[in-house]
Amino acid sequence: MTPIESAERALRRSAVWILVSLLLLAGVYVRALVFTPAEMVQGLAQKIFYIHAPSAWVAFLAFGIVGVTSIVYLLLKDPRADLFAASSAEVGMVFTTEVLITGPIWGKTIWGTWWTWDARLTLTLFLWFVMLAYLVLRSAVHEPGQRARYSAVLGILGALLVPFIHVSVYLFRTLHPLPVVLKPGRPTLPGSMLVTLVCAFLTFTLFFGALLWHRYALARLTDARAHADAERADA
Amino acid sequence: MVELLRVAWAIAAKDVLLEFRSRTAFVSALVFTALVLAIFNFARDPTAVSALDLAPGILWITFTFAAMLGLNRAFGLERENRALDGLLLSPASRTAIYLGKVLANLVFVGSVEAIALPLFALFFNVPVLPVLGPMVLVIALATLGFVAVGTLMSSMAVNTRLAELMLPVLLLPFLVPPVTSAVQITARLFAGRPFSEVGAWLRLLVGYDIIFVAACILFFESTIEE
Amino acid sequence: MPETGGFMVAAYVAAAVIYLSYAAYLLGKSRQKKR
Repeated sequence: MTPIESAERALRRSAVWILVSLLLLAGVYVRALVFTPAEMVQGLAQKIFYIHAPSAWVAFLAFGIVGVTSIVYLLLKDPRADLFAASSAEVGMVFTTEVLITGPIWGKTIWGTWWTWDARLTLTLFLWFVMLAYLVLRSAVHEPGQRARYSAVLGILGALLVPFIHVSVYLFRTLHPLPVVLKPGRPTLPGSMLVTLVCAFLTFTLFFGALLWHRYALARLTDARAHADAERADA
Repeated sequence: MVELLRVAWAIAAKDVLLEFRSRTAFVSALVFTALVLAIFNFARDPTAVSALDLAPGILWITFTFAAMLGLNRAFGLERENRALDGLLLSPASRTAIYLGKVLANLVFVGSVEAIALPLFALFFNVPVLPVLGPMVLVIALATLGFVAVGTLMSSMAVNTRLAELMLPVLLLPFLVPPVTSAVQITARLFAGRPFSEVGAWLRLLVGYDIIFVAACILFFESTIEE
Repeated sequence: MPETGGFMVAAYVAAAVIYLSYAAYLLGKSRQKKR
């Protein structure tokens, strides 16, 4: 099978999985909104947790994938690693954006303001900035080899940065405690809520996987087409 | 090792000499410092907001901005006339080139800091002299951190079309740990807190420097290979 | 229980919009590429 045929087949298959996960996502929505009891202290807004926490997990997973595949690229110089990293960054950006939107909406009900420099949200914000930098850098460099090298360096440095930002925010917060009215944290969830959360985690992970697979196939197709065109031009 | 340092020194000296001749970035940085001092002085009500609250943050904004001005110019010099190719063709190792660039940038930013700090002490009336030793240490550590990463970022940014815009986009998240630590430590030093209180922040700063200087040395080669 | 239903709806709708838009964008792009 030629690279182009392989990429096209991957596109078809992953598209199916995207649609499957969207259906499952709708199922999670229904379960969370209708069939899961509301929490007494925070009211209905607590249900945001079921779409916020899984997205955050996916965002960090995506970023971790960018970091690891960037290392793979620098070691092996395989352009597929670069395409995979870029795909993970783009898809991850979508989930990170969602976290930064649902987070403050939920936060408003708990903290009374849209933003406080909460540890996790702040870390997510800077993750978002690094991903943005990664995507902007890629769009500004045209030579594929150079683009891949630059992206890999930024991806690895970004991954190294994460623990330092975490510590910075943690230090800042322990010395400047938040005006927390209610602590969302990690409550021990009663059975029904836990089931919903687990379903949500699984669905979001599947959704991410399908989107990543599709995005990567698209990148491979574009790359293969470009090579085929270049070869035809040389001939 | 000695050869490495010697070459780095030569590259740094060349850069510093070139900058000294034109002086544009240096003067811009000083003008910005004066501007910041004046504006913040007129912007606040001295009876309501104490200088001690504002000074650390403003000091580090100034230092960071000066660093940006210097970093923008760092590889810009080589971009003209493709001078970087000449540098790469020379027997100088990539690490020596990187260290030389970092050193030149440190001299640039350090010079601005050396002038800005006394000006701040004067205009904000903050007690710098009693804590001068620790202050110099903190300034040196934080500056090393963001200049090291900034030099690497600018070696990439310079090859993009909107280089001056790309550099802050790339660098911003990486400034958070060193600058936050520096501001927190500076605030405590100005307030006369004992040095032992800044232990955690200092460890963060040193840890950042070690990890990122090493990483940047390791990765610099990947940003300039052909 | 405090009245926070509006926030819940806002968050759920915002999330759905983001995910559906991206999925649609991605699927649309690949359909375009297959031509």
